[in-house]
Amino acid sequence: MARNKFDIDETLESPFDIRHLKRSLVYCGKYKGKIFFSLTLSALSVIAGLFGPMITQYVLDVSIPAGNVAEVLIMSGLFLLTIIVSVLLSVSRSRIMTKVGQDIVYDIRKDLFEHLQRLSFEYYDSRPHGKILTRVINYINSISDLMTNGLINFILEIFNLIFITIFMFFVSWRIALVILCGLPIFLGIMLIIKNKQRRAWQQVSNKSSNMNAYIHESIVGTKVTQLFTREEENAEIFDRLQNNYRKSWMRAVIFSNMVWPTVDDISIVVRGAIYITGLLVFGTGVVSLGNIVAMCSYASRFWQPLLNLSNLMNTFINAVAYLERIFETMDEPIAVDDAPDAKEMPDIKGEVSFKNVTFKYDTGPIVLENLSFTAKPGESIALVGPTGAGKTTIVNLISRFYNLTGGEVDIDGVDISSVTLHSLRSQMGIMLQDSFIFSGTIMDNIKYGRLDATDEEAAAAAKVVGVDEFIQTLPDGYNTVVNERGAGLSQGQKQLIAFARTILADPKILVLDEATSSIDAKTERYLQRGIDHLLKGRTSFIIAHRLSTIRNCDRIMYISNKGITESGTHEELLAKKGDYYHLYNSQAI
Amino acid sequence: MFLFRWLWTNMEGYKARYVLAMCLSVVCQVMYLVTPMMSQQIVDTFIMPSDAAYIIKTQSALLWQMVWIMIGFTFLRTVIQYSTNMLYEVTSQALIYRVRKKMYENINKQDATFYDRFRTGDIMTRMTGDIDMVRHSVAWIIKTVIESLTLFVASIIYFFSMDWLTAICLIALTPVIFGVSFFFKKKVRPMYVTLREKLSLMNTAAEENISGNRVVKAFAREDYEIGKFDEKSVDYSKANKRAALTWLDFFPIIEITAQALSVIQLLLGGIFAISGRITVGEFTAFAGLIWTLANPMRNIGTIINDFQRFTASANKIIEVYYGRSKIADREDAIDLPERIKGSIEFQNVDFSYGDIQVLHDINLKIEPGETVAIMGPTGSGKTTLVELIARIYDVNGGKVTVDGNDVRMLKLKQLRGSIGMATQDVLLYSDTIDGNIAFGNTSMSEEEVVRCAEYADADGFIRKLSEGYETIVGERGVGLSGGQKQRIALARALAVKPAILVLDDTTSAVDLETETHIQESLRNLDFPCTKIIIAQRISSAKDADKIVILQNGTIADVGTHEELIQREGYYREVYELQH
Repeated sequence: MARNKFDIDETLESPFDIRHLKRSLVYCGKYKGKIFFSLTLSALSVIAGLFGPMITQYVLDVSIPAGNVAEVLIMSGLFLLTIIVSVLLSVSRSRIMTKVGQDIVYDIRKDLFEHLQRLSFEYYDSRPHGKILTRVINYINSISDLMTNGLINFILEIFNLIFITIFMFFVSWRIALVILCGLPIFLGIMLIIKNKQRRAWQQVSNKSSNMNAYIHESIVGTKVTQLFTREEENAEIFDRLQNNYRKSWMRAVIFSNMVWPTVDDISIVVRGAIYITGLLVFGTGVVSLGNIVAMCSYASRFWQPLLNLSNLMNTFINAVAYLERIFETMDEPIAVDDAPDAKEMPDIKGEVSFKNVTFKYDTGPIVLENLSFTAKPGESIALVGPTGAGKTTIVNLISRFYNLTGGEVDIDGVDISSVTLHSLRSQMGIMLQDSFIFSGTIMDNIKYGRLDATDEEAAAAAKVVGVDEFIQTLPDGYNTVVNERGAGLSQGQKQLIAFARTILADPKILVLDEATSSIDAKTERYLQRGIDHLLKGRTSFIIAHRLSTIRNCDRIMYISNKGITESGTHEELLAKKGDYYHLYNSQAI
Repeated sequence: MFLFRWLWTNMEGYKARYVLAMCLSVVCQVMYLVTPMMSQQIVDTFIMPSDAAYIIKTQSALLWQMVWIMIGFTFLRTVIQYSTNMLYEVTSQALIYRVRKKMYENINKQDATFYDRFRTGDIMTRMTGDIDMVRHSVAWIIKTVIESLTLFVASIIYFFSMDWLTAICLIALTPVIFGVSFFFKKKVRPMYVTLREKLSLMNTAAEENISGNRVVKAFAREDYEIGKFDEKSVDYSKANKRAALTWLDFFPIIEITAQALSVIQLLLGGIFAISGRITVGEFTAFAGLIWTLANPMRNIGTIINDFQRFTASANKIIEVYYGRSKIADREDAIDLPERIKGSIEFQNVDFSYGDIQVLHDINLKIEPGETVAIMGPTGSGKTTLVELIARIYDVNGGKVTVDGNDVRMLKLKQLRGSIGMATQDVLLYSDTIDGNIAFGNTSMSEEEVVRCAEYADADGFIRKLSEGYETIVGERGVGLSGGQKQRIALARALAVKPAILVLDDTTSAVDLETETHIQESLRNLDFPCTKIIIAQRISSAKDADKIVILQNGTIADVGTHEELIQREGYYREVYELQH
């Protein structure tokens, strides 16, 4: 059962550490060469930019006093040249890094999506889908900025900082020390802000996830909302979620907006300190006046990279709140996974046996206990019994949608947990209770069962289930585009299309879980003939409440009390006058 | 301009604050320009003069004073700057709050035509990424515009006051930037529209994949899905790169032009200084302040770039923001003073879904308190028929009346509030079972919830769950069996004590014993109620006062069980099939 709903924050298991940074660096590793090249370009661009002030200085000191107009012209030309070189270098760097950044974001998204595909039902069942969606789309988009420019700028600024510090010491080590005094104050304040910020941005990511989950559910459930005239209550709930989000955002920006002014303030205090110490404390004999002026300008060039770094830190802390979630999802253990030495499932003949199977969902009560039975190849088995007795669970276990709590399920004598999921599931045809239809054409939906099927084969499958006639009446026939979840089709039509999809897969083992519940009796009867034909040579498991559907099955198993209470053919069970007999009679009028 | 007006209206209640923020931005920018002058003054007073050493000794108090003023002034500026930023944050948050609220309320009101047009993932994009773009514009783009403008104006004034010729030559480059920006704008706009489109498609693909995860696994189609998503992801990534690279095509021109201001200054300043038009001091001052012109020019590109993104996003938002549902209360809607009694009449009703005619010339009268069963082949229009009562759709011809009033004349809240519908595709919220049952009537007591569950024969299995009524069910009720979901949906429908109860194939997945129990309790409800039951099984329909057979969108037959089994037709065929 679900552990999380839209208004519950997801707790984060892992504490903050440098791992997230390291891990994102792994993604950068693939583009090492390009990143290094960009870095070189940036450095060259910075160096080219350094000529500008030197040229100005030269004109001021030499050309103007000499009254040399020609030299002013040449110098201006040179200046323009350095600008062009510097800009072109930095643009080349940006071109490369834009691509690299986008590629990294793409890689992360791909990894996340692929991991999500391997997670079992349990993962999807235990949290709102909107929250998963938010991670794949919004969270990953939020980190793209960091990936595109963050790393390079970080390295550049660090170099800048080191460079300027050395320079300062070279000019006047005393004043340099004064300037550096500002550093501990800066770091102390940053440390405090950082801690607050981290928590604050985590809250923002939580609250936006909650809000998005609710938006998602509301979009999917609009019809229900309208039918129950819940618009106002929903709006109130949404208001609450939005307010929480807004509050968390405001709390986060209280700190992040503080960074810039703090640096500004510290830098001006440092400048004041330079004047005071330079002029009053050290005295002009120790520090030359020219040095003081120079140091003032170096001081501002010392704080600029620090300011940029703290802004980067802002971006980074913000991104980490999202990265944590992304990596957490990537680390979500795959509950049902291929065994390390998993083999391909050989072509299935169809013998299915349960050996002392015990099963419970996560922390829930035991659903099945010590269940054992064997289905012979080609046998059709019906599962009947009260709702919630575990019929669906049994068929889900055959496809290994969940791991067993105890016991073993074998197909053709092979333990299914020892073969690859893909080789197992691709030989099974499962018709689920919820006949999910994808947006796309009806043809696409049927071919989902077998991607390489021809149009004719797909149409043949539709004929078997009796939906061909209906599809033909549509204006675009098989190419009619159906909307999300098959909006515009009746529930029965959706089931029939889902049925055709299953049949097209030509499975060795067929599972029909209430496959015909929404289909009218006449169509069902027509379908039945198709199914009977289809069942030949395949092992099948059928769950149905309409006993007329299952009367002809080779064996009927009555599921209740965590196991099989009765088993036999229709006639045998009737003769037994037990649960099945009782059930059957209640259906008779 | 429409977009700005739209933003402005949505700033309701925060307009004053926003204007204040903009004014403070101007103040900050000016203060920002003043600080270097203060430090210049210290240099001029204490360092530059030839008798500096003497001045320092005699005027140390003045030095202290000037340093304190400089620091105090900067502190004041940063405080104002911080407050300004917070004001921008507050107003932009208030704005998106309002917009998102309006969008949310709007999507809740929309009819099927809207959902045919917009996919879930698409609406999600509009309500998340696009909204964030709007926030960014209001909080940052507009702020940048104002700051740049202030700086630009201030520096033009300054340069003109110093030397008009230099000023004109410097400004001469501005048209170049504007021209380039104009071309850039034309080129990049469609790219951002595309980028937006690709994001939406990627979002939609992910959304469908997550929602359909069971089918994906059942068919072992993970690799196929990965391929499908990958395509969208690549497209998005490409669109992103294309837009960014286009910006980088123009960026060098803008950047070089902005930096070329320094070259012009050097050239003209140099010549003018030699000719004696300006002093060397002025030359230095010009060189020191050239950035005040260059930065705003440089920002134009970024502003235009961001503004194009904003426009692309805002247009998407506005589609949802202003989307009007055709199914809404009429101005002259009537308010029925008392509880609806529950008589329903279809008069010559026609209905088409797109090009496909679903119902044709339906005439049917249902008395208050009656139980009516509707049967018919798949796709014959049963669900549509009952949905017309609740005005999920509006008829194309004829009319549907409830208690003698055309449903289009009733207020939706009253109409739908008196109908309890258990839909076929059971959609539960990721909430507790208790919350799901009380969905239509949040104020109901726990006892009432339990009683509704008992009516629906759901109490037993709910109590067996590890946390009983407090168990959280997954989205769409995953984790529950089909029959369990249906029973919760039934309890939910009963919880509103509806005058009209509609069960759309609600018992198809429950076993017959349970169905019998449910039928029994439906007969003994403690409130008057007209019941409409759509069913496939004879057992579900046979006790109804009236059984309606719907075939190909028309009523083929009406009668009681006894009558219908007497005559040829769908009902008898089904009856024979099931026995």
